[in-house]
Formats: sequence, structure tokens, C-alpha cells
Amino acid sequence: MNWTEILSFSRGPLLHISMIIFVVGMSYRLVRVVLLGWERDRASNKGSKLKGVVINYLKGLIILPFIPWVGRTFRRNELTFIAGGLFHLSLFVVLAFGTAHILVWKSLFGLSWKPLPTPVVSFFSSVGIISLIILLVNRLTHPVLKLLTRLPVWINWVVVFLPMITGFIMARHLWFKYEVIFSLHLISVSLLLIWIPLGRISHFLFYFFSRTIHGAQAGKRAIMP
Amino acid sequence: MKEKTIYEHLREKGLSRRDFMKLCGTIAGMLGLEFSPPVKALGKVLNPSPEEVVAQALKTKPRVPIIWLEFQDCAGCTEAISRSSSPLLSRLVLEDIAIEYHETLMAAAGFQAEKAREECLKRYYGKYVLVVEGSPTTADDGIYCTVGGKSNLEILKESAAGAAAIIATGNCACFGGIPAARPNPTGAVGVADLIKDRPVVNIPGCPAIPEVTTGTILHFLVMGQLPALDSLKRPLPFYGHTVHDHCLRRPFYEAGKFVGSFDDEGARKGYCLYKLGCKGPTTYNACAGLKWERGLSYPVQSGHPCLGCSEPHFWDGGGFYEGQSAPTMKLDKGSTATLIGAGTALGAALAGVNAVKKTRARKAVVKPEQPVSPAEEKKED
Repeated sequence: MNWTEILSFSRGPLLHISMIIFVVGMSYRLVRVVLLGWERDRASNKGSKLKGVVINYLKGLIILPFIPWVGRTFRRNELTFIAGGLFHLSLFVVLAFGTAHILVWKSLFGLSWKPLPTPVVSFFSSVGIISLIILLVNRLTHPVLKLLTRLPVWINWVVVFLPMITGFIMARHLWFKYEVIFSLHLISVSLLLIWIPLGRISHFLFYFFSRTIHGAQAGKRAIMP
Repeated sequence: MKEKTIYEHLREKGLSRRDFMKLCGTIAGMLGLEFSPPVKALGKVLNPSPEEVVAQALKTKPRVPIIWLEFQDCAGCTEAISRSSSPLLSRLVLEDIAIEYHETLMAAAGFQAEKAREECLKRYYGKYVLVVEGSPTTADDGIYCTVGGKSNLEILKESAAGAAAIIATGNCACFGGIPAARPNPTGAVGVADLIKDRPVVNIPGCPAIPEVTTGTILHFLVMGQLPALDSLKRPLPFYGHTVHDHCLRRPFYEAGKFVGSFDDEGARKGYCLYKLGCKGPTTYNACAGLKWERGLSYPVQSGHPCLGCSEPHFWDGGGFYEGQSAPTMKLDKGSTATLIGAGTALGAALAGVNAVKKTRARKAVVKPEQPVSPAEEKKED
């Protein structure tokens, strides 16, 4: 088996199977969480649910990350906040505005938009990789985090790190032959897709549900989320 | 009688010594002899110049007979080579080296042609180079491609038996090409899949670049051996780099300037064609270096993305105009809905089981001091 065959396998059947596992797994997880049961909310509606949701997203996703010092999370642990924030931001930029990724979304959803210039995407990509390494070092050295870290956390780190590093090497054409690193990138992406429904990276979807629900509850009680 | 050398043959045809040396220089340049590992391997010294290695070979070696077979193909590779705009090289191969049997180009036809092939095979046994164009078919004993009543499998095996080397030219002969595209009704395969006991070189392309085919034949002639090959049996001097590596639009790729559609501003400015589905990054071929029509142009230069025609199964490797990063197998709306349904059903079923368990547990907690008799427990079930 040569790399050309490995590439066509990983671009075709492997990615296909992992996408199937991903879709089935995520819908399963979502249904399980939703059907865990809802406590009956007896509070009367004093404000607006929608307003609560909007404010919750604005604060949590758009405003607070850029003025972090007002939040407790930052004051308690600056490193995790900055490295974690930069990691999420770079991941978003690379996935949403990298040329190759836009072509993937175009083929899957039929939608396409303008990519960011390659050097900008490369910059964000390296920022993401560096912050992920910093987070790993932090986890390895922090006395409390060391106690909290079990095997699934290491798997999380590896399956996220591998696609990022292989993608960066591929986009910059470093060291490897293109079809080799392309295959490795796709294999690691498939691993990630399979792992997401099994582990805590599923927060990429659940996050939005919880933020919506908490925002709505706060809005109903007319308090600032 | 001593066989005439190529040089003698060329001189007889009226080629001047000056032109002969020019030819040698061209060949040496094209083969990249100065950097070619086989030269060192053969212990040849390139002083004072690489063309002397070529001249020496052409002066001392007899002609190499070539037998050119065609199976499932469009004869495009023959077209390319016979209309090549490097007339010196293609004349050298077509007339002087020389092609003894070529199903498309020779004047003979019918039984006469078949007889010519059989005679050639006998006369030059063990010496000739067999060039195969088009894919052999394996389904139903190869009956889907027959010449003179013989199946192509039979002809291939017969002709390969006495070949000094086999050159598969064009993607069809190398990897099955278009005839092997899904669902491959004729069971088309590459020559190297069938012939294991002879050295086989693949010169893929659609068509193969004529200079690459002639260059490989000349390499065999000059060095007496086939060039170094990659894992797909392609000669490294020509297939050592991707189209992307030497692409003239590469700076635009690095800068992230892409053509969005065939007639936009970027297309007029000559930006990178990656977004239009260019397969250059994974395609190993000499297009960007040798180019076509005496270095005039090649697909990417003239504004069309690379199709990856020198790679196995390029016909089935996703849409030509779809980005290379896109997955080749896709979930359509229907199957996605089915999968979501399956996940939801599974989740709901397990949640149902859980709910039943919970209810039972709660019941058990509510009345702990009234033990339930076995008969009553059964009733509840």
C-alpha cells in the first residue's frame, strides 16, 4: 500500500465512516442529555427570555473574552483564560476562514465565503498550536490539575493537537510529501470526529444549548445572566 | 553482419555531426544527466560534458527495437508523441531507434500486421522494448479487447515474455485510467498488475508528456538500464516533483490569492487555481517543468486547474472542479437525516429504559417497609 492509496482511502471511506459515527453519536448524546429530565420551572415570567439569551451570548462570546479582567475566571487563572481563549479563537479562524476548510464546507453544505489571506490563517494556526502546548505544560505542572487529569483528557489533547499540527505542516509544505501529510491530517481528523461524541469535546455543540438555556432562565427571572 | 549503431544510422540519413551533437546535448539536458544518480552508479565520469555520455552511447550501441501495443485507449499518447513539437526527439524515437511495430502508425493492416508483430517478437527476442498504451482488460478472460482474434491478455503475455523492458505509457496502461473508472465493467488494470517478471516503467499522464516517454526510452538506450523509479514505478527524473512544486502560480498560493471562478478578476490576474479544484499538490508530473509544445504552456499556465492525470484513479478522485480538500464520499441530506434518526432513536430508547428503571427505583424507595411478595412483583411487571 502506498501513500496515494492511503490518501484516497482516508479522503473517502475513512472520513465517511467517521462522519457517520460523528452524526449518529452526537444526535445520540444530545437526545440523552435532553431526556435526562427537566425540573419543572415554577417561576413566573418577569422579563424576556429572548433578551436573556441575547445578553448571555453577547457577554459570554463577544464582549467578555476581550475585556477579561472584569470576569472572575480571568482573575483566578490568567494563563488558562488567555491560552484557552486564543486556542478557541484560532481554531475558529482556521476552520472558518482557511481556504482548504472553506472548500470542505462548500462541498458539504454548498455554502462558500471569502477566505482570509494564507499568512493570517497560518499565524492563527501557529497561535493555536502554541497555546495548546502551553495548556499541556500547564496541565503537566499544575499540582491540582495533575490530580484531576485522567486518560480521557490526554486523549482529548492528542486528538485535537494532531489535526492542528498536521494541518499546519501541510499548509506550509514542510518536511513531508504532500500526500503523506494530507493522509495523516485526514486520519487524525477522522480520529477526532470519532472521539468527539465519546468525550468532552462534545461541548462544541452542548455549549450553545447550555448558554441558551441559562440565558433564557436568567431572562425569565429578569436578572443579568 | 555487424549491426549498425544509432550514430551510423543517423549519419546515413544525412544528419550532420553538428546536429548530432546538438541532439546529444538536448537528450542529456532533458534527462538531467548531470544530476542523474544512474550516471554515478554506472561509474561514468561526466567530464568534460554530459552530452558526451549520450554521444558515446549513440555511437556504440545498436538501435533498440520498439514494439508498441494498444489496448483500451484513445491513442492520445500516440497522437501526442507523433505530433510532439520536439521533432528531433520524436523523430529519433519514431524512426531511428526505432519503432518496429505500432498498431496505429504502421502502414500494414490485418493479417499482415499480425504477422509483422510475430516476426518482430521472434527476431528481437530479449532485446526489444515493449511500449504499452491503453489498459489491458481482465474481465471474462480479456474478451473485451481483442486484436486479430487474440485477447489482449494473450497478446500482452506473449509480447512481454521477450521484452528487455516494458514501458506503460499513459494513465490507462499504468493504472487502468478511464476504462478502469467506476464501475470498471471490463476489469481494466495497469500493465504492472499483470506482468510481474519483467521490469515495468509507468509513464502516466493523459496523455503522457511525449518528452517523458521518449526520454525514458532514451534513458534506457543511453544508460542501458531504466531510470530510478518511485513507489508507483514512475521514473524519478520526470516524476520527482509535484506540479504544485514547480508551478508558476505558486507564489499566489503562498500569498493566499485564489481564483474564485473562471472569469473573475483573479483569473485575469493569473492567481492560484487551488479553489477551482487544482490537484497539483498531489500530482507528480513534469508538466510544470518540461511543459507542452516545446515549453510553450501547460494546463495550469493556460488557466485550467490540474486534473491529476498522472495519479492512479484520477477519474474517481472527486470532482475535477471540487477542491482537493473536500471529502470524496459525502453524506447526502437523506442519509444524514437517517443517521440523525438512528442516533435519536437509540438515545430515546436508552432514555426510556432508564426512565423505567428510575420509576421502579423510586417506587422501591417510597415503600421500603412494606416488602412486596413475589406474586405481587410479578403482577407489577
